[in-house]
Amino acid sequence: MPTVLVVDDEFGVAEVIEAILEDEGYRVLTAVNGKQGLERLAEAQVDLVVLDVMMPILDGPGMLKRMRAEGFAAVPVVMMSSLPESVVREQAPHAQAFLRKPFRAQAVADIVRSLIGPGNAPA
Amino acid sequence: MTDSAADGYGLTHVPSGVLGLDQVLRGGFFSGGVYIIRGAPGAGKTILANQICFRHAEAGGRALYVTLLSESHARMMQHMERLSFYNPDTIPSRLYFVSGFNALEEDGLRGLMTLLRREVRNHRASLLVLDGLLAVEESSGSDREFRKFIHEFQAYASAENCIALLLTNGSRRDYHPEHTMVDGLITLEDVRFGKRAQRELEVRKFRGSGSLRGRHPFRISDQGVTVYPRVETVYGLLGPEEEDHVGDARVSTGAPELDRLLGGGLQQGTTTLLLGASGSGKTTLGTQFLAQASAEHPALHFGFYETPMRLMANARTLELPLERLHAEGALHILWRSPTEQMLDDLGHLLIETVEQRGIKRLFVDGIGGFMEAADLPSRVPSVFSALSNELRKRDVTTLYTAETSNLVGPSVFSPLDGLSAIADGLVLLRYVEAGAHLHRLLSVLKMRGGSFDAAVREFTIGKGGVDVFTDGETAAALLGLGTVQTGTPFGQVRATPRPDSAPTTLPDGG
Repeated sequence: MPTVLVVDDEFGVAEVIEAILEDEGYRVLTAVNGKQGLERLAEAQVDLVVLDVMMPILDGPGMLKRMRAEGFAAVPVVMMSSLPESVVREQAPHAQAFLRKPFRAQAVADIVRSLIGPGNAPA
Repeated sequence: MTDSAADGYGLTHVPSGVLGLDQVLRGGFFSGGVYIIRGAPGAGKTILANQICFRHAEAGGRALYVTLLSESHARMMQHMERLSFYNPDTIPSRLYFVSGFNALEEDGLRGLMTLLRREVRNHRASLLVLDGLLAVEESSGSDREFRKFIHEFQAYASAENCIALLLTNGSRRDYHPEHTMVDGLITLEDVRFGKRAQRELEVRKFRGSGSLRGRHPFRISDQGVTVYPRVETVYGLLGPEEEDHVGDARVSTGAPELDRLLGGGLQQGTTTLLLGASGSGKTTLGTQFLAQASAEHPALHFGFYETPMRLMANARTLELPLERLHAEGALHILWRSPTEQMLDDLGHLLIETVEQRGIKRLFVDGIGGFMEAADLPSRVPSVFSALSNELRKRDVTTLYTAETSNLVGPSVFSPLDGLSAIADGLVLLRYVEAGAHLHRLLSVLKMRGGSFDAAVREFTIGKGGVDVFTDGETAAALLGLGTVQTGTPFGQVRATPRPDSAPTTLPDGG
């Protein structure tokens, strides 16, 4: 089952994405900041990271940079933010996609599917 | 860095950047100070705090916005994007948003404090907003634990020289120990009067300097929050010398015989009330006064009832050159619909326009617009007193109109208690019926600090405006007729009877 790591500090955001993606047949891990996100990456095989920009301890762009330095460069990353995409692109130029907050459930599912294919949801 | 200013005691004022608020705070917040902003949901706390953050970031500071259990960042941003202060260029480099909820949930107050310290330092924040103090209170095991958190937070903000704004809905208790600990307490309220509502801000506590006391109205618009400090607290604060300052110069009303009755015209810098029934000629006389404007002595029409188009049309009919003066920049027109206005907004608008345009002649038509805008009608006289003093300081000669409620009859009713006492001058316009005709009479009731002729004169309205008869024979004849219905003998002006006010009588001759 493809695994997605969702990293967001705000209460409710990771939980909502988790529910959306589990319905689509993905396994979902969550973390509340970039530091915890890197720990999850080290612990489990992750196929995609959905990553918030502004977080305490280690922010999204900081985690992305560390991913590239620590051997996770191949894992695709979706940056998500309420900021305009152009601003986020400057912060995180190596991300594969961008998700604007607040998001629709379908947009989350579509963007994940487009990057790692469909989940194992029953037909 | 931000545009801050140190006082003589090592405290540095940092402007909030919110129009009017810095006036209320006499310069802004103090660096290193902790302030509670309290208000019910929808009171405007989040908009105000965001506006302060964006302005702080634009001014070169760094702001950190920490949410607990409040509106989601995404939703909040959606709402802020609609407001003119929103500037995405400041995020995330100078303005940063994080959630403190997980830290509070997992590690309690200690975890939240650690997060705040670390993030303030990481982002070199000079301004911190903690949105959701109530969640901290709810997470505290006891009052003592909550007080310890506030105490430590305050010590840390001071050490980092970081302004901290704590937003809260208030608590479910009456006892608020945190209020005694912080450097300032600002409340936001939505106050209802009749079917209308008005937002009001009050600085209940502000350590380190004075603030403008009492409640000040504010508005939330596309520009965000604008505070209108109460007019009485800002304007017209005169020393004794200024209070008595009335120059010898005279300003023509545009009606030569009225000028003569006034002792040579209106005294420069004074405020004169034109009191009369609807249609008695008040606006015409005011229009005539405006028509005497020049590039050196520009005039302002501040009105509620006659739209600019109607004003110009009337002036054309009277053959008064308002259009030309307006085109030349010697006449300015400000018109506001009398509905849903805010008294203090009107007062500030008036003084700011006078200041910006260098106005020397002012015609306010009429005072009823201010009365309708007032949250409390009893404030209007004191507001007008403050405005009159401010206008006097600026050598502005002012005419304003007030409508009496009765057209003809044995009494003349002033629309509000205390109003005529504030005016330096009082001119009464009234109707008399004689035979099958209505005639107009005029007289000067009061001219503070100057001699005047109290004679009654008949006048007509036609080309050129008001034409005051130079002799008193017709007036005497009209008043001498036993069959005439007339107004009260001059000097007996009464306030319109209201359940909450007793009629007042002016002293003879003012």
